[in-house]
Amino acid sequence: MHVDRNYENIVIVGYGIAGMTAADTLRSHGYQGRLAIVGGEPHEPYSRPALSKAMLADVGTIEPQYLPASDHGARVLLGNRAVALDVKRSSITLDNGEHIDFDGLVIASGSSAKRFTDHPREFSVRSHDDALRLRTRLHDQPNVVILGGGPLGMEIASAARNIGCAVTLVHQGTPMASHLGPYLGSRCSEAARAHGVELIDGRVAEVCAPDSADGPITICLDSGQEVGGDVIVSTIGDAPEGDWLADSGLLTDGRLKVDTRGRVNEHIVAAGDIAWLPTADSHERQPLWTAAIEQAKTASLALLVGDEAPPLDFQSYFWTEQFGLTIRVSGDFPVHGEPEVVARGQKANPDALLLRWSGDAQSAAAVGYRIAIPKLRRVATGDFLPS
Amino acid sequence: MRIELDQPRCEGHGLCEEVAPDLVHLDDEGELIIDVAEIEVGTDAEQHAHEAVRICPVTALSLR
Repeated sequence: MHVDRNYENIVIVGYGIAGMTAADTLRSHGYQGRLAIVGGEPHEPYSRPALSKAMLADVGTIEPQYLPASDHGARVLLGNRAVALDVKRSSITLDNGEHIDFDGLVIASGSSAKRFTDHPREFSVRSHDDALRLRTRLHDQPNVVILGGGPLGMEIASAARNIGCAVTLVHQGTPMASHLGPYLGSRCSEAARAHGVELIDGRVAEVCAPDSADGPITICLDSGQEVGGDVIVSTIGDAPEGDWLADSGLLTDGRLKVDTRGRVNEHIVAAGDIAWLPTADSHERQPLWTAAIEQAKTASLALLVGDEAPPLDFQSYFWTEQFGLTIRVSGDFPVHGEPEVVARGQKANPDALLLRWSGDAQSAAAVGYRIAIPKLRRVATGDFLPS
Repeated sequence: MRIELDQPRCEGHGLCEEVAPDLVHLDDEGELIIDVAEIEVGTDAEQHAHEAVRICPVTALSLR
């Protein structure tokens, strides 16, 4: 595909997998102009999915799991956040006061963890530095209360139990059910209980953190129940890093909305956790590893060639490892109803299960079952059965 | 160039197979097999190899 716009000065804000993929894609499609990348964290890009597992690493390990290096040749500014975007002047401002002009912009500034308080013993895990801080604390084996039973909360609960911490997890409803549906949610919850996690079904009303550095933290639930712990970990989702765009005029109701090719306007595209993609009747974010990559490819190509770029055609893939369960899913999730067992047992794991839900939803899950994602997708659509 | 696998890191997601089916595949037990390790520069295979390395969520692949 040829480059038909004369960009000379493209800037990428954000240096996670989306920013990295955008840089690679621009270069592999012939963009030879100047390229600058602004990364808010002090690290070269690393694998964010690996963070929850980093809890289990030796305490001496302090390096993130870096992504393979790229030869994009960009000027990379690490540890500087963009704080403002002036669309009319085509310029961004960094937190050190520096202005960077651009003729094309890729916004991939990601998201940050939501929290209840600013207390130092309320932990969240979004960055490598977050993970390192929590890991150091967990190795003292405190009583841990985890707020939120999504994948991150359950993976951290699993790691904390492995380290030997007493773990209580507060979640409204069945953990993992809002991601995977009731069937797999129940499997995860049973596994968590079997590993000694106390699960509490409830909604957090208030987190009462003491003013002093020590002393227990109390969580008050809607039911009136109080839960106390030495350390709390909030895993209640992420919020897009859009503050720096507040005065840009690009946000609608606080959301950075893009078209089916990731475009915000002709010269600005967005990808990854910050981008709200059009759906049939609304916009949604897809904060997933493979989504960030696909969006970054589509958006950076659309920046170069406009409508000639194919629109985003994303097939979801999601995985989690917790309490000895490895679950990979493809298709429509969360999914309701009982699955059909498509295959059972593999050499390495006699308990492995390959599951399929048919009907309105086309969904497949591999529970401890090793199968390549292209095949899992075909299991979901009913086009493949392992022999 | 050569595709290299850090075997202990590989979790068998097979995302690499999806972007580079001409170069790698997972066998029936979920072990990654590199079918073509030596990659000629400037070919489609090189592009696929780069994509396979990039998409691995556990950074088990590298290209040297």
